[in-house]
Amino acid sequence: MIPRLFLCALLSVSLAGSGTAFANENAEKKHATPDSSAPAIHKPISVVRVNVTSQPYDFLRPWSKRPPFQRRAVGAVLPGSRVLTTAEQVADATYLELEKPDSGEKCPATVEVVDYDCNLAIVKPSEPDFLKPFKPLTLAEPGVGDDLAIWQLESNGTLLNTRALLTTVEVGPYPIGDSAFLLYRLTTSLQPRDSSFTSPVVKNGALAGMLLRFDSRSQTADAVSAPVIRHFLKAADAKTGYIGFPRVGMGRAALRDPQLRRYAGLTNGTGGVYVTEVEPDGAADKAGIRPGDVLLAIGTNAVDRDGNYIDPHYGKVSMSHLIACEHYDGEKVPFKVMRQGKEITCEVTLAHPDPSQSIIEPYTIDKAPRYYILGGVVFQELSRQFLKEWGSEWTRKAPERFLYYDAYQKELFKGDPRQRIVILSNVLPSPCTVGYEELNCLVVTKVNGVTLKSLADLEGALAKPIEGFHHIQVQGTPGEIVLDAAEVSATEPALIRNYNLPAMKRL
Amino acid sequence: MRHYVRLFLILLVLQLPARAISIAEVRKSLVHITTTAQEPNYRVPWNPGASETGSGAGFIIDGNRILTNAHVVSNARFISVERENDPNHYIAKVRYIGHDCDLAVLEVADAKFFEGTVALSFTNQIPQIESSVSVYGYPIGGDRLSVTTGVVSRIAFHVFAHSGADSHLTIQTSAAINPGNSGGPVLQDGKVIGVAFQGFSGDVAQNVGYMIPVPVVQRFLKDIEDGHYDRYMDLCIATFPLLNPAQRKSLGLPDDAKGVLVGSVVTGGACDGVLKVGDVLLTIDGHPIQSDGYVELDGERMEMPEVVERKFKGDSVAFHILREKQPLDVTAKFEQAWPFQIQASEYDVQPRYILFGGLLFQPISRDFLQASQIDNLRVRFIYNYFIADEFYKEHPEVIVLSGVLPDPVNTYVGGFRGAIVEEINGVKIKTLNDMAAAFAKPAEQYVIKMIGEGRPIVMERAGVEAARERIKTRYNVPNEQNLSE
Repeated sequence: MIPRLFLCALLSVSLAGSGTAFANENAEKKHATPDSSAPAIHKPISVVRVNVTSQPYDFLRPWSKRPPFQRRAVGAVLPGSRVLTTAEQVADATYLELEKPDSGEKCPATVEVVDYDCNLAIVKPSEPDFLKPFKPLTLAEPGVGDDLAIWQLESNGTLLNTRALLTTVEVGPYPIGDSAFLLYRLTTSLQPRDSSFTSPVVKNGALAGMLLRFDSRSQTADAVSAPVIRHFLKAADAKTGYIGFPRVGMGRAALRDPQLRRYAGLTNGTGGVYVTEVEPDGAADKAGIRPGDVLLAIGTNAVDRDGNYIDPHYGKVSMSHLIACEHYDGEKVPFKVMRQGKEITCEVTLAHPDPSQSIIEPYTIDKAPRYYILGGVVFQELSRQFLKEWGSEWTRKAPERFLYYDAYQKELFKGDPRQRIVILSNVLPSPCTVGYEELNCLVVTKVNGVTLKSLADLEGALAKPIEGFHHIQVQGTPGEIVLDAAEVSATEPALIRNYNLPAMKRL
Repeated sequence: MRHYVRLFLILLVLQLPARAISIAEVRKSLVHITTTAQEPNYRVPWNPGASETGSGAGFIIDGNRILTNAHVVSNARFISVERENDPNHYIAKVRYIGHDCDLAVLEVADAKFFEGTVALSFTNQIPQIESSVSVYGYPIGGDRLSVTTGVVSRIAFHVFAHSGADSHLTIQTSAAINPGNSGGPVLQDGKVIGVAFQGFSGDVAQNVGYMIPVPVVQRFLKDIEDGHYDRYMDLCIATFPLLNPAQRKSLGLPDDAKGVLVGSVVTGGACDGVLKVGDVLLTIDGHPIQSDGYVELDGERMEMPEVVERKFKGDSVAFHILREKQPLDVTAKFEQAWPFQIQASEYDVQPRYILFGGLLFQPISRDFLQASQIDNLRVRFIYNYFIADEFYKEHPEVIVLSGVLPDPVNTYVGGFRGAIVEEINGVKIKTLNDMAAAFAKPAEQYVIKMIGEGRPIVMERAGVEAARERIKTRYNVPNEQNLSE
């Protein structure tokens, strides 16, 4: 990610404390007119620094963490003594603090709510009055063509106010996970500052978005849009606790092709999208929507042949925005579909699918990966985070079978009884594993005859060795490896000592 | 391979010191081959392909035959051969060609060509490492015969670049081997020890050239004795060394460092139904198999597959095995060479394809993927795991939509490039011939379902027929399909 690279390079020079803040009575007014030609010296009264120390796990050595690193961001102060920042910023955080830009005063903080799909997080200071002097930001809803501002902080604590033109509003991919939400695409010549490119986007002094990526070559930036922030904040305030963005759980394809329209039974009109797939047990599935149906309308919003609807504020936008941001988990929405020439209405109860329920988790953040070491043979659960250990080119360099499983998991594991794919990730050579040293990245199918639905089943399977041997069946060559159960137990202390293992398992 | 090296360290004592062969004698056997080849273009499969002229070397062997590399004469449309000291050009034809071992035998109809020639003979020994060799041929740098010398650097299995999918024994030499040397003899003591065939470009490695050694050449010549080249045979299994004491104990094996585990058996391969995953191979054709997968052959340690490298179609291989701790003798017969060769380069064939309503369908293969630059994960995975995951059972040919020739009939069919055809009008498509049959069957519309794509491609017959001549004319397509194999 480009912003991160910048961030790392800049951290080393970002230690200087902030100087005295300039008192500027007109600060707020200046925020309101980012196009003003006046020098951008502002007192930052609505933003704080969010300083985070992160320490993700090392998925190739799941018993240990990577070296900690620091990131700084600019967070938006919200009503209720809270600060909004991106989820990326607080991912795998071990220590968080808020810092006042002008005085440099710091306060430990905690993450109150985080949603990695929409890339937003709410951070709370441990001292309730820490944010008292600040003026909380309200939410704005900008439109295409608006002149916005991005608020960064100079090292001395003054506000760096950069203009940004909102050129496009569309649904696009967010950095973590597989989700796509409404994005603001901005044209801006942002300068790298120690606070990185994680900063609020404002319109007339009100919060319009959170920057999530900046490309210095094309001078464009993407920001989390106001409707996504609004939805996130509303869900964060829900009494039931935070539930993420709802989805309908179906795939769709444009219906521009007249041959396909006729095949789908459409004789007139120009709207409707073709339902290509329905996720088992998803909202659409439960409502009775089937592949091959033509979706005509969601509630009162007609869906056009490309899958767009007309948003009252943004105009033509993908229907996935309507589902994700204009509705909440548990809401019932009528979907009008055409099936074999007949219009029917399916009442869809929108639901938030928990990404951690995927057979291969799209992200594993803030939690320790599970593992089990058996005499030196390391078992883990396949996750995308594991694949990302192959570096920036992981989509080409990680084991191809695992990449294929991850990319097509919905299709390949439909109806599979497994909750996770247990893998033999590698071998720590020990007297037990002679001849197995080279084995790595194999799918484990059975242990002692027991099919593993997840790593949690491993212990139970190992409790019943067959005639004193553990039989581990893997997909492909060698088919099966065998360990002596008694020898495995006897080797454990030496393994722990040799490899400095804190524990032989984490389940 | 180390075993060969050891073998001939011993034999050295018996050998006479290297004797230089007179260049005049070699000249009587050398052949300069000039080929005009047409390489098909997998992106435009109906085109005959651009023609290129190349040249290489060859040499005369017994029976008035010319031996050269397959890659010298692959895709050839016209071959002319010249001898040293004879100004005439003679027309030659490929009699046998083995793409898996990069060897070919040429014939010259004009008997005059062979007048005064001498057939070179082969050594029956693998040369000793560090012994001197001379390479003869017509490499870049001039038109006339060139000789380079060097030593035998290494003897080992190596991938044959011509097919890209086969590995056999090779001899590496420090003698310069450059483009144009291909097919030329490598001599030691007046006998052929190998056929120069591949090397690295200068920016990769220096003084690393490879020759095809005599055992591989002899196998080719023996294989074609019956008038047909049947290719190499393959066990189609994967084995795993049995070094782990616990594993040995659980399999009922003594601590004698013998036996390898069968890790996978390819369905439809020579051992299908003969061996099972979990079997322990104890001997192969009576040779005890060591637990690291080596056997003793001719008094030397060699990898077990070397036993099979020497087999021919119709031969058998006998194993003594342990299955569920019970000893058993089994025999696998080599009925045919492994048929699913999508991972090997193709030669002397025109690409197979079907063009339907401007949609171009082609089976994936090494050459196709290199040309098309289709690089989606699904295609990549199916190609690489075609045999391991037995995709060939469902899809002996994996047919992808490789491109669209834009026309009103297919205006809205986009975004499917690289998608794999699953079925047409409800009929599973396993081969390109299946697809041709499905399109030939009269129907109002053809509903083409692609793997992993929920939306089918729908082509109405009337539209496709109206577009047929238009597309053929506009895009200069002489034939809408090529199904010949």
